[in-house]
Amino acid sequence: MSYRENSITVSLVSYLLILGYYLVNWLRMYQEEGLNSAVIFKLWGIVIVAGIVLNIVGNILTNIVLSIVHAIKTGTDKEPRFVEDERDKLIDLKGTKASYITFSIGVFLAMLSFVFGQPPLVMFSLIIFFSLTAEIIGDISQLYLYRRGVRYG
Amino acid sequence: MDKRRVRNNIRKLRFHNNEMTQEQLAEKVGVTRQTIIAIEAAKYAPSLELAFRIALAFDVPLQDVFSYTADDKSA
Repeated sequence: MSYRENSITVSLVSYLLILGYYLVNWLRMYQEEGLNSAVIFKLWGIVIVAGIVLNIVGNILTNIVLSIVHAIKTGTDKEPRFVEDERDKLIDLKGTKASYITFSIGVFLAMLSFVFGQPPLVMFSLIIFFSLTAEIIGDISQLYLYRRGVRYG
Repeated sequence: MDKRRVRNNIRKLRFHNNEMTQEQLAEKVGVTRQTIIAIEAAKYAPSLELAFRIALAFDVPLQDVFSYTADDKSA
C-alpha cells in the first residue's frame, strides 16, 4: 500500500469509529430520554472535535510509522518520498465529488424529516450523520480507485 | 465509436535502459512508484505533460512510448 492509501485508511478507520460512537450515543439518548438539546449539542461538539483531532493525530502517526518502516526496509536514514502526484490529485478530486454527492443527498433527506413532522434536532442530527457518512464514502471511493485504476472524465 | 485505450512500452523501455527500476523512473519524472505501476498496467492514462516527461526520460519520441489502440490489441 502506498503512503496515500495508508493515510486514507487511517482517515476511514477514524471516521468509522466516530460514526459508531455517534450512532450508539444518539440511539441510546433517543430511546432513554428523548432528544435533549443540551446533551445533543455536547455530542455534536465531541464528534466534530474528535473528527478533526483523530485525523490530525492519525496522519502524524502514519507519517512516523511509515518513515520508520522505510528506514528499516532501506537501511538508510534517507527521508521517504511522500509525493502527491497528478494521479493522487485526480483520485482525491473524485473522492471529494463522491463525498459532496453523498452529503447533498443527506441534506435533502434531512430536510425531508421536517415533512414528516420531526423536530429540528432530528434534522441537524441527520446532517451530522450524513457528513460523517460522506467522509466515509469519499475515503472508500478513493481506496477503490487506487485499486481499480482511474481515468479522466 | 470503438473502445480505445492508452497503452505503453514503459516496461520494455526500462529494460533497455540499463534495467531502470520503477522507483528510478518515478523519481526522474516526479511521480510516485505506484503511478508508474498504474501506467504500466494501463490502469491510468497520464497527462500529456507526464507522458512527455516519461518519453524524455527514455530519450525517445512520445509515440515510441505510448499508443492509443483498441482494447483487443496490444501496444
